[in-house]
Amino acid sequence: MFVFAATKEATETKTAPKTSLAPPWNVIVHDDPVTLMTYVTKVFRQVFGYAQEHAHRLMMEVHTNGRSIVWTGAREQAEMYVQKLQAFHLLSSLEVVDG
Amino acid sequence: MWAGRVDEGYVFGGLSATCVETLKGVPMLLESTDERVRARLLPDACDEDAGSADWQRHAVPELERLFASRAQLVRRDLAGLRKLGKSDVQLLLIPNSHVNAWLAALNAARLALFALNDLEARHLEAEGFAQATLKQQEAMLRIQVLAEMQSVLLGDYELESGGSMADLTPDDADDDP
Repeated sequence: MFVFAATKEATETKTAPKTSLAPPWNVIVHDDPVTLMTYVTKVFRQVFGYAQEHAHRLMMEVHTNGRSIVWTGAREQAEMYVQKLQAFHLLSSLEVVDG
Repeated sequence: MWAGRVDEGYVFGGLSATCVETLKGVPMLLESTDERVRARLLPDACDEDAGSADWQRHAVPELERLFASRAQLVRRDLAGLRKLGKSDVQLLLIPNSHVNAWLAALNAARLALFALNDLEARHLEAEGFAQATLKQQEAMLRIQVLAEMQSVLLGDYELESGGSMADLTPDDADDDP
């Protein structure tokens, strides 16, 4: 009983900071002057499963602001999305969410 | 160049020798080892050193394999280019199941031509063409031809459709249907 309680306490001390050390990551798509706008929209739909309107809005954000955060979440999944976007040749990168 | 829809996929006709040459360059551009092309097609995904090294080690080889496989598929379809009638203009069929691969390959080729010819965004603006060198202008025209094909595959144009490749007659090869 005593051992069990000690183990539980140790586990709690170990896991709590780990959770707080895993911030979310943004998937960023950057504008390029060559890629067609309708192609970018199609890729957003295909990679993320976004509805046409949402995909179009994100594409317009890339076009007008030079970049757009298209997804936010765990690093591993963010890396997978960047790889998928690069497979379609969209200029994309990862950045950790500040704060 | 014209485009139409057949049961098997998209058909492009009236392809001049220059169009065919541009298309045959697509797989080569996709597999280019030129640093400018690699920097654009295989960019780093993150700024931090450790993340970048991981990316180079794991993601880049996978992307290279994917690009090589797309290049092979495009080469196979281009090997099916055929002449109808007596003229030199040719027909290309892009099968329905290859459309996504072609869309990506055309995009890669356009980006590669842009990088290889030191083109900049200003060249694509209204007065940009006149400011470009002859070599850059030629590259811009090739980029435009490939963009037109992409637009067709993206459904940006309304196309005549119906029938199969076997129904096309020699007259279809060079004239707008």
